[in-house]
Amino acid sequence: MSVWNYAVTAHKPTNVTHSCVGNFTSPQELNLIIAKCTRIEIHLLTPQGLQVLTLQPMLDVPLYGRIATLELFRPHGEVQDFLFISTERYKFCVLQWDAEASELITRAMGDVSDRIGRPTDNGQIGIIDPDCRLIGLHLYDGLFKVIPFDNKGQLKEAFNVRLEELQVLDIKFLYGCSKPTIVVLYQDNKDARHVKTYEVALKDKDFVEGPWSQNNLDNGAGLLIPVPMPLGGVIIIGEETIVYCSASAFKAIPTRPSITRAYGRVDADGSRYLLSDHAGFLHLLVITHERERVTGLKIELLGETSIASTLSYLDNAFVYVGSSYGDSQLVKLNLQPDSKGSYVEALERYVNLGPIVDFCVVDLERQGQGQVVTCSGAYKDGSLRIVRNGIGINEQASVELQGIKGMWSLRSSTDDPYDTFLVVSFISETRILAMNPDDELEETEIEGFYSQAQTLFCHDAVHNQLVQVTENSVRLVSSTSRQLLHEWPAPSGFSVNVATANATQVLLATGGGHLVYLEIGDGILTQVKHAQLEYEISCLDINAIGENRNHSQLAAVGMWTDISVRIFSLPGLDLVTKENLGGEIIPRSVLLCSFEGVSYLLCALGDGHLFNFLLNMNTGGLMDRKKVSLGTQPITLRTFSSKSTTHVFAASDRPTVIYSSNKKLLYSNVNLKEVSHMCPFNSAAFPDSLAIAKEGELTIGTIDDIQKLHIRSIPLGEHARRICHQEQTRTFAICSVKYSHTSSEESEMHFVRLLDDQTFEFISMYALDTYEYGCSILSCSFADDCNVYYCVGTAYVIPDENEPSKGRILVFVVEDGKLQLIAEKEIKGAVYSLNSFNGKLLAAINQKIQLYKWMLRDDGSRELQFESGHHGHILALFVQTRGDFIVVGDLMKSISLLIYKHEEGAIEERARDYNANWMSAVEILDDDIYLGAENNFNLFTVRKNSEGTTDEERGRLEVVGEFHLGEFVNRFQHGSLVMRLPDSDVGQIPTVIFGTVNGVIGVIASLPHDQYVFLEKLQSNLVKVIKGVGGLSHEQWRSFNNEKRTADAKSFLDGDLIESFLDLSRGRMEEISKSIGVSVEELCKRVEELTRLH
Amino acid sequence: MGSMLGDWPSFDPHNFSQLRPSDPSNPSKLMPATYHPTHNRTVPPPNQVISTEAKNILLRQLYQRAEEKLRPKRAASENLTPEHKVKQPRGSFPEETSN
Repeated sequence: MSVWNYAVTAHKPTNVTHSCVGNFTSPQELNLIIAKCTRIEIHLLTPQGLQVLTLQPMLDVPLYGRIATLELFRPHGEVQDFLFISTERYKFCVLQWDAEASELITRAMGDVSDRIGRPTDNGQIGIIDPDCRLIGLHLYDGLFKVIPFDNKGQLKEAFNVRLEELQVLDIKFLYGCSKPTIVVLYQDNKDARHVKTYEVALKDKDFVEGPWSQNNLDNGAGLLIPVPMPLGGVIIIGEETIVYCSASAFKAIPTRPSITRAYGRVDADGSRYLLSDHAGFLHLLVITHERERVTGLKIELLGETSIASTLSYLDNAFVYVGSSYGDSQLVKLNLQPDSKGSYVEALERYVNLGPIVDFCVVDLERQGQGQVVTCSGAYKDGSLRIVRNGIGINEQASVELQGIKGMWSLRSSTDDPYDTFLVVSFISETRILAMNPDDELEETEIEGFYSQAQTLFCHDAVHNQLVQVTENSVRLVSSTSRQLLHEWPAPSGFSVNVATANATQVLLATGGGHLVYLEIGDGILTQVKHAQLEYEISCLDINAIGENRNHSQLAAVGMWTDISVRIFSLPGLDLVTKENLGGEIIPRSVLLCSFEGVSYLLCALGDGHLFNFLLNMNTGGLMDRKKVSLGTQPITLRTFSSKSTTHVFAASDRPTVIYSSNKKLLYSNVNLKEVSHMCPFNSAAFPDSLAIAKEGELTIGTIDDIQKLHIRSIPLGEHARRICHQEQTRTFAICSVKYSHTSSEESEMHFVRLLDDQTFEFISMYALDTYEYGCSILSCSFADDCNVYYCVGTAYVIPDENEPSKGRILVFVVEDGKLQLIAEKEIKGAVYSLNSFNGKLLAAINQKIQLYKWMLRDDGSRELQFESGHHGHILALFVQTRGDFIVVGDLMKSISLLIYKHEEGAIEERARDYNANWMSAVEILDDDIYLGAENNFNLFTVRKNSEGTTDEERGRLEVVGEFHLGEFVNRFQHGSLVMRLPDSDVGQIPTVIFGTVNGVIGVIASLPHDQYVFLEKLQSNLVKVIKGVGGLSHEQWRSFNNEKRTADAKSFLDGDLIESFLDLSRGRMEEISKSIGVSVEELCKRVEELTRLH
Repeated sequence: MGSMLGDWPSFDPHNFSQLRPSDPSNPSKLMPATYHPTHNRTVPPPNQVISTEAKNILLRQLYQRAEEKLRPKRAASENLTPEHKVKQPRGSFPEETSN
């Protein structure tokens, strides 16, 4: 790999951190707004449920910041809500939806950072006064920042107020106060918790003691819920009590011990709230009151959901449960309990991969296609997720058939919903297959077809007819009697080269550039028109995509010699449009098609390239030419339907499905190696199936849902923390922890589990000791021993110890599907990492790196024996090796490079990065370049300086790349999500995959320098065209940033920004094309290629 | 329990009325379009780019106190009335409610 890297998201964040409900897009519309760390999603509530904003092309809004707080509010005089967002890097913005333009506009923005100040430990707080007099922010200990509104709803200069309470847990505004009043929940220096109120004196820019306070609350009090008028006051949620507090009332109730993570207000008057605890139990809290006097509190258990990070009551008893630890849900609150006593009914589930704590890249189907298996979720919502790029074909049946030249499916009558026949054409014959009564494919005959020649085209025709085109003739056959009705012979001396047809029309071309147009009548074929073109015809199409689904007004024709594609009008065969494709590769397949109501002409070349044009159905004009590279071999295009939507299958050495989403064409790989022909085959036995010809085989299969990434969930009911695959035994091993809640106590048990790599069932288990955590896992073999083992590193996490002082390395072998413990070694510390190293085992144990040999004892058993080690780390958490080099990611001392010296059997430090980065993952890109991720959401690369002139220089790892990813990376792995074709350009680009806390799966791709330079230019131009939502700056967002310093991004490109080029309007693309002097076609092609890295 | 659970608030009774629950084991596949603004209104009006006042809290308080000392010397009669108005609601809180 190299210094020049491209970071891109393959799977967007799915961890839901915030949500709110209000009238954002219109006063009449109710919206759910969801924050997923760096993105917001705007949903519209409709009778059908939660919907993306239709018509307007908008919903998923990327932000140049990590969202710290999100609030909807209604300034004075406005009829709909504004959205207030603040980011972790101390920026804020106020957004408004402009319904006319369907755009988000920025009403205000600013920087709320202070030069001096200690960032709060408990996260940032951003709140808005219910009477819209000010925005309050608690960002630094001891300071409360006020952004006042003027009487016109405009924001004024912000100011800080000294807040005496240093350990603040929550701050909220009270309702119904004549002066803006905050209530502060805080902890004192004796760890007792209290609430206090302050009035914000805007004129004096200071706090005034508030109307009341309450000392000595529940020790676990952590959440404040302000209660609207007429009741007013605040609810304080503790771990064992819930308290209502106001100037005039104090009510408390005990609760079952639990930690409440999220609340959602149900009624506008604030009498009911939904609460969700750390175990995912959903409660309803009710304030009972007589008139405006609070008389008590009641709490009821409603049921169980995912562990919620946010709750939003939507409408009509529907609730959105946003989760960081499991899938988010749409639930309904029922009046009557179900059989399990639950009032909660889950109606929809929204996938969340976060937090990804570990993952591995495997090729389970052995097709050369990588899949990522993640340890996702936490606590009871823990799961494994199998993430795969591309569209899978699920094989239903297959037969060996060599030399297939074409395939078509036919129905036995025009009205039959299902296909009956599958016509398979070979070089000198045509065979007909059909389903027999036993649902088996067997050979049959259509008597009227000519079977002693290759079929060039077949189609169902009107009036229960079938049409077959061979090189000598066009035959019209009854689909019921299967007898020949009429035949149109090719002119003598000419043979048909290419042909196409729909239900009422046939278009064919013979040698010498003759184009012949026939129409299909009831029992008769009529030659309507003939045209003589100047060159030979290579391909043609008359797919009927207009209003009349049986008849096309346009014909597309691809030409030899001048390498053009032409549009003719029918029936006159008048040339309407001619588009020269350029180059020397002839078009091999053309297709008229329509996606989401937009008409396109697709034209595939003999070298795997594909052009697409927007097609004007009235004029036949072609616009917005784009080019992509799908493979390296000729492509054959065919339409097919899946779930009543039409897509296009491009058969080639890299089969691809072309589909449309939000009126943009997308290309998704099909997980098959090489497909020569495809035709839809929708039979009663195999509905919605495809017939696929590949490598001497005919396969009938169904196709996955049409989408780019496929995610399969394996719920575990426990939290998987480490995963590893073992090819030889076809198993996965995981380290997991199971939490159990009983009424009196909570306990956790730790396991090593073995899973089958096909079924993902638990097949064996090893229970770790009490307090013993599985910290690392590795599949490896040792020198002089051909067995493969699972090695597990553990730590005894004793509650009183600061750092573990004891752990074990366990060596297992898989025998008869069971985990057998072969050896164990007690270690003085936590085994954070295990690596296979020169036939030995390299372990990272607290401050040390230690190497163990696998020794044969006299009795034939094996043991791990210490060989050598290296001290001097704070905590060696992450280790990667390459040859004799060892790269260590330290808790707080960045990356260091060690070398193993064989002669001395010693490990020595060769170089280190002297920055104080707190590492979260490391990977070796190549011999000299190492990649690191750290806890301020940055990526960086360092380079070994072997050519340095002094020891000092050689001992220093030089920082060569820096980038703010905005994601907490837990793991890097070499590998790829897509099938690698050695002869494609993209196939040469090495990649590393990463997984993050927010559920992001991303790719770091090392680019050749010239490509990097080209894309950097594109990126700098894109920044000028694609604006940051809320006025946030891209340059600042991607700048490396930690507590000590901020530096511009270098040697990393923002792939998400670059790939958004494809979402731009043609006009904007042209703007960029002009300023960098590269054609739109070339830009699209190069960016489209990058999207095929993930 | 029944009384607590009934009568859920409704903004538009039609919302969710035609929701066809999908199989909860089969996750929902919303395919949102990604928003990339290219318009000029991502930049707020110039007076709405907010920053924090540069004045240190201590200095601000010192200045305020200095101003307060000066104020009664000038137009005492003008200032008295509004100050009274501001102060009244505060005084109206009974002692015992502040715990």
